[in-house]
Amino acid sequence: MAGGPPKALPSTGPHSLRDMPHPLAGSSSEEAVGGDSTPSPDLLMARSFGDKDLILPNGGTPAGTSSPASSSSLLNRLQLDDDIDGETRDLFVVVDDPKKHVCTMETYITYRITTKSTRVEFDLPEYSVRRRYQDFDWLRSKLEESQPTHLIPPLPEKFVVKGVVDRFSEEFVETRRKALDKFLKRITDHPVLSFNEHFNIFLTAKDLNIYKKQGIALLTRMGESVKHVTGGYKLRTRPLEFAAIGDYLDTFALKLGTIDRIAQRIIKEEIEYLVELREYGPVYSTWSALEGELAEPLEGVSACIGNCSTALEELTDDMTEDFLPVLREYILYSDSMKSVLKKRDQVQAEYEAKLEAVALRKEDRPKVPADVEKCQDRMECFNADLKADMERWQNNKRQDFRQLLMGMADKNIQYYEKCLMAWESIIPLLQEKQEAK
Amino acid sequence: MEQATPDPERQLQPAPLEPLGRSDAGLGVTVDEEAERAREEGSGGDTMTHNNFWLKKIEISVSEAEKRTGRNAMNMQETYTAYLIETRSVEHTDGQSVLTDSLWRRYSEFELLRNYLLVYYPHIVVPPLPEKRAEFVWHKLSADNMDPDFVERRRIGLENFLLRIASHPILCRDKIFYLFLTQEGNWKETVNETGFQLKADSRLKALNATFRVKNPDKRFTDLKHYSDELQSVISHLLRVRARVADRLYGVYKVHGNYGRVFSEWSAIEKEMGDGLQSAGHHMDVYASSIDDILEDEEHYADQLKEYLFYAEALRAVCRKHELMQYDLEIAAQDLASKKQQCEELATGTVRTFSLKGMTTKLFGQETPEQREARIKVLEEQINEGEQQLKSKNLEGREFVKNAWADIERFKEQKNRDLKEALISYAVMQISMCKKVGFGFNEDICIFRSTYKFL
Repeated sequence: MAGGPPKALPSTGPHSLRDMPHPLAGSSSEEAVGGDSTPSPDLLMARSFGDKDLILPNGGTPAGTSSPASSSSLLNRLQLDDDIDGETRDLFVVVDDPKKHVCTMETYITYRITTKSTRVEFDLPEYSVRRRYQDFDWLRSKLEESQPTHLIPPLPEKFVVKGVVDRFSEEFVETRRKALDKFLKRITDHPVLSFNEHFNIFLTAKDLNIYKKQGIALLTRMGESVKHVTGGYKLRTRPLEFAAIGDYLDTFALKLGTIDRIAQRIIKEEIEYLVELREYGPVYSTWSALEGELAEPLEGVSACIGNCSTALEELTDDMTEDFLPVLREYILYSDSMKSVLKKRDQVQAEYEAKLEAVALRKEDRPKVPADVEKCQDRMECFNADLKADMERWQNNKRQDFRQLLMGMADKNIQYYEKCLMAWESIIPLLQEKQEAK
Repeated sequence: MEQATPDPERQLQPAPLEPLGRSDAGLGVTVDEEAERAREEGSGGDTMTHNNFWLKKIEISVSEAEKRTGRNAMNMQETYTAYLIETRSVEHTDGQSVLTDSLWRRYSEFELLRNYLLVYYPHIVVPPLPEKRAEFVWHKLSADNMDPDFVERRRIGLENFLLRIASHPILCRDKIFYLFLTQEGNWKETVNETGFQLKADSRLKALNATFRVKNPDKRFTDLKHYSDELQSVISHLLRVRARVADRLYGVYKVHGNYGRVFSEWSAIEKEMGDGLQSAGHHMDVYASSIDDILEDEEHYADQLKEYLFYAEALRAVCRKHELMQYDLEIAAQDLASKKQQCEELATGTVRTFSLKGMTTKLFGQETPEQREARIKVLEEQINEGEQQLKSKNLEGREFVKNAWADIERFKEQKNRDLKEALISYAVMQISMCKKVGFGFNEDICIFRSTYKFL
C-alpha cells in the first residue's frame, strides 16, 4: 500500500453490533458459492487462479517480473483468493437502515454502513457509519482513479427523473439500498479493492466530508502510473483475448438491454391485465346480490378473482424490485468494463509506440530505456489485473444470473400456486348444494 | 338423475303432436301430469339428449355447417351457412340409434321457429338462439359471421337450442317443432299458414312502450326487474371478460419475445448456455399456450351468453303478462263506463258527460223509443263485456299459473346450469395454473442441474 495509512478517525461509535444480523446469515449470491468455487475455464481466460504457475504475457513468472511491487501484490492476491471460502473471510459489510434527513437546503436519505473486520487495516473490530448516495459516488470515482486496472462495480443510477419516480418512496429507497449493499459487497470480496484506502475511510470515517475536502491523494502506485498514460497513442490491434472480452461485453450488454425492454413491457401488460381483473371480480359480487341459490358461489368466484389479482400484483412488484435492477446493474457494469478495456488499450499502445521508437533509433546496443520498461511493466500488470478481474466477474455473473433466473421462475411458480389454491378452495363451495339437493 | 320409465301405453300410440297453444284455444294451456312428473325428476342436465315425451327416445344433433350460396327474396346472390340437423331414434332395448331424419336449415329458419313459439307459448320462457352477430369479442376473435370459429360455436349453440326445446315438457310436443326436424321442404309455408304473425301483438315489439297498469302483480314486476338486472350484469361481465382475455393474451405473447433473445444470449455463454437455451424455449411454449386457454374460456362465455338471452325471454313473459293485465283493466274500465251510461239513460240523470247528452241538450230530447233502443244496445254490450271480462280473467289466472310453473322450472335449470358453468370455469383455471406452473418448475430444475458443475 502506498504510504502509511492516515490514522482512521474514530467512527460514530461502535454500538453493540451483536444485535445485528450476521452478514452471512442471509445468503447473498456471492457468499452462496460454497464448495463450487472452482471456475471451469472460460473461453476468455487463460488460466484459473488456483494455479501457482501464473503465466504473464511476457513469459515471466510472478517472481520474475521487473516490478517487485506488482509481484507481491499478485502473490497476495493468490493467497487471498484461496481464503475467500466463507470460513476465513475477515471483512463483512452491510448496508441497511435508510433514514430521511430534512435540512433547509435539501432533503436526502442516508444509509447505515456496518463493518466488521479482523484485518489490521482496521483499528476497531466494528464500525457503524452513515453515508448518502453522494458518498458512494465519491468512493467509486476514487476507486476508478486509484485502481484503474481493475473492474469497479457499478452504482445504481444517480439521476432520477423527478415526477416520474418518487425518490423517497419505500420501493425506490429499498431498491437503491439493495444495489448499494451489492456494490460494497463486491468491493469487499475483491482481493485488491477491499484493501483500498478510500474504501477503508469510507467504511470508518466519522465525517467523510473532511476527507473529501482535504482531497488527500491516496493513489496507489499503479493508479499514479496509469494516470499519466498519455492518450495520444492508437492501438493497432487488440490482443485476441481482450478482443474476445470486448466482443462478449458488447453482445452481452445488447442482449441484456433487449431483455430489460421486454421485461418492462411485460410488467406494463401485466399491470393492464391487473386493472381489468380488478373490475372483473366485483361484477360477480354484483351478480351475487341478485341471486338466491347462486349468491354464495358467485361471491366465492369474486373473492377468488380478487385473490388472484393480489397475487399478480405481488408478482409484478417482485419483477420491478428484483429483476429489473439486476439487469440494469449488469448493463452499467458492462459499460464501465468496456472503458477499462479501452484504457488498457491505451497503455499497450503507448508501450508499443515507445518500443517502436527505440527500435527505429537503430542503435548498436538496443538497450531498452527505463521508461519503456516502465510501460511494459504497466501493461503487463494491467493485463494480469484485468484478466483476473474478468474471471472473477464471470463467476459472479453466473451466480447472479442463476439466482436471478431461478428466482424469477420461482416467483412465477408462487403466483400460479396462489391462484391454484384460490380456485381449488372454491370448488367445494360450488359443488356443495348440488349434493345436498 | 334417473329417467322416467317410459309408459308402455305411450310407446304404442303416437304422441300428441298438436300445438297446445292454438289461436282459437286461447291461452288456456294446462300443464299436464307427465310434464309435471318430468319436471320433478329434472328435465335438464343429462336428460337433454333424451326426450321422454316422444314415441321413442330421440337424439338431436346439429352435426355440420356448410357455406352455401343462393338467391334471396330480392333475387340477389348471397352467401349463408346451412346447418345439418340429424335426428336419431334410440331403440329402448339395445340403445342403438338409427338415423330417422336429416335435413339442412339456415339460421333464419331457426329464428322463424322461435318467433312462432314465442307467439304460441307466451307463458313459457322460450330458449334463446345463439347470437346473430358476434358480440363481446376480444381482439383476436373475429367478429365476422363467416369465420369458422364463430360458425362452429354457432353450430353448438343451435344444437343446444334444439335440445332445450326437446327437453321442455311442453314445447317438445309442438307440431311445428316436430316438422322443423322432419319436414325439409315447405316447412316455412306450414309455419306461416298458422297465421302466427297476425297473432303476434305488435305492441310487444315497441320495447319502450309502457302500459300503465293500476294493479300490477308484484311477483311479475319483481321478476321483470330481476331479468333487467340480470341482463345488465351479465352484459357487463361478458364485456369485462373480453377485455381481460385481451390483456392476458398480450401478457403471454410478449413473453414470447424472450425466446429469441435468450437463444442469442446462450450462444455467447459457456456454462449458462444450456440453461438459457431451454429457458428461451420454455418462453416460446408459454407464449403459444394462450390460444388454447382462451379458446376454452370462450365456451364459458357462451354459457353465460345463453343466460343473457334467457333473461330476455324471461322479461318477454313478464311483458306479456303486463299487456294482458293492461287489456283486462281497460276492458273492466270500459265495462264500468258502459254500465254507468246505461244507468244514466235508464234513470234520466246525467252525471257523466257524453256527446249524446250534449246533442240532446242542444237539439232536443230523443224519443222514448230511441232511448229504449239505446239502452237495449248498451245492455247487450254490457252482457258481452261481462262475458269477455270473465273469460279474460280466467285467461289471466291460467296464464299466471302456467307461467309461474315454467318460471320455477326455469329457475332451477338456471341455478343448475350456472353452477356447473362456474365449476367447469374453476376447473379450467386450475388445470391452466398447474400446466403453466409445471413449465416454470422445469426451468428451475434445468438451471439447478446446469449449474451443478460450477
